[in-house]
Amino acid sequence: MINTAGRSAGGHGSTPGSSLPVGELKRFDLVERLVHWSMAIMMLTLIVTGAILYLPILALHIGHRGLIENIHVITGLCLLGPLVLGLAGPWRKQLLMDLRRFDRWGASDFDWFRTVARRKGLARDKFNGGQKIEAAFLGAAMVAALVTGVIMRFAPSSWITWATGATLVHDALFFGILAAVLAHVAFALSRPDQLISMFNGRISRSWAKTHAAAWLSELERSEPAAASSADGPAGGSSP
Amino acid sequence: MAEEFERRSPGDRKSPAKPVHVGRRTVLGVLALAGIGIAAGAKIDKALGSSISSVSNAIGVPLPGDDAFRFYTVTGSYPVIPADTFELTVDGMVHEPLRLRLADLRSMRRTQLVHQFQCVTGWVVPDVHWEGVLLSDVLERAGVTPKATALRFFSADGVYTESLTLSQAQLPDILVADKMLGTNVTADHGGPVRLYVAPMYGYKSIKWLNRIEVTNEVVPGYWEDNGYPVNAWIGGVAQVNVVP
Repeated sequence: MINTAGRSAGGHGSTPGSSLPVGELKRFDLVERLVHWSMAIMMLTLIVTGAILYLPILALHIGHRGLIENIHVITGLCLLGPLVLGLAGPWRKQLLMDLRRFDRWGASDFDWFRTVARRKGLARDKFNGGQKIEAAFLGAAMVAALVTGVIMRFAPSSWITWATGATLVHDALFFGILAAVLAHVAFALSRPDQLISMFNGRISRSWAKTHAAAWLSELERSEPAAASSADGPAGGSSP
Repeated sequence: MAEEFERRSPGDRKSPAKPVHVGRRTVLGVLALAGIGIAAGAKIDKALGSSISSVSNAIGVPLPGDDAFRFYTVTGSYPVIPADTFELTVDGMVHEPLRLRLADLRSMRRTQLVHQFQCVTGWVVPDVHWEGVLLSDVLERAGVTPKATALRFFSADGVYTESLTLSQAQLPDILVADKMLGTNVTADHGGPVRLYVAPMYGYKSIKWLNRIEVTNEVVPGYWEDNGYPVNAWIGGVAQVNVVP
């Protein structure tokens, strides 16, 4: 009961059997990819401008504090916009379901953490435990950074005690978010098939068999024709 | 909630246990920590600032809650002005326009303060030692004409400006500072001469000060044009810090 079947398959609107190359599965739909890349660009902007504002060596030699601050503040106010838009209409189905996957942990997600140190971390769900915890952390960190950033920039001057606390939190979030994003980028670069899937939305059935078997079964249960029409050893396993 | 975790003991692994909402817990945990940080941050800053600072000094990276200055410059770099060529111009509505060299400032009545530097965004450096000439002493030497009501401050970077009313400028804790932190004001801190406006947020303490113009209207400065209040009293209320 990790997810109700039938919603993830094929992604958004299309019939996977006809539009997908043989042996490929739909991993991310267009909405998810647009949300991901627009937020990625804004996050990169925030990290770069944040570093210029925060680190003395950059603050002194790149300077332009008024301009950099405005870019940082405006980008920060917009950061969650794509996510909100992505969830704001009927196109949200797969995005919402993948967000739910980040929340709901089954036995295999805990197992993934136990085995990952031995380089055997095999996940069964669409995302592994590490991806889930990172997504949850980053989601919360973005909200916390938004709240603290708004306090720092827009709170009335009598709120200075809160602003001091907000600055402490915002500075700490800089390090936390930087670490999470660096790890995310490093993992993505070292796993090209998963990185490419965030561009074209597709991933191979053989990848899913090894790394996301439970997700693959979900797809097969929900759209047996589509899932099994792609050839390969998994084809016969549909119920 | 905890029993959901316990049910997940190794012996139970095969049964399709109810999913545990780890994501939600992570989100709530991070947000709770952030809330505590916002509420208690100022106290944490005060209690732990100096210990955090010793770590951040050792590694050369500013850390959350440390007592270090953040360095601001609004241009692409910052002016480095040799002490022997420095001049501070005082002009506008004065009887006697001044061009004060560093030696002139050093020969005037000296005032010292030990007081925080509080940025409007929240960071604060406690117990900073400041030394220089009271702004009111400088104005008295120039002789302000009766119709004057305000001051404009200019920075050698060519962009940064600031403002005060003439009555604010009479406060006994506003310095034309040439020493801070026990040494000459360094170029990154706005030296050789900067303003230090103790009762107001840090952006009022203009760096690389090279001109004070006495006028009859308050002209908002650089940060005020960027949306920060012209009256920058710390905590929103006027206060005078009486310094022994």
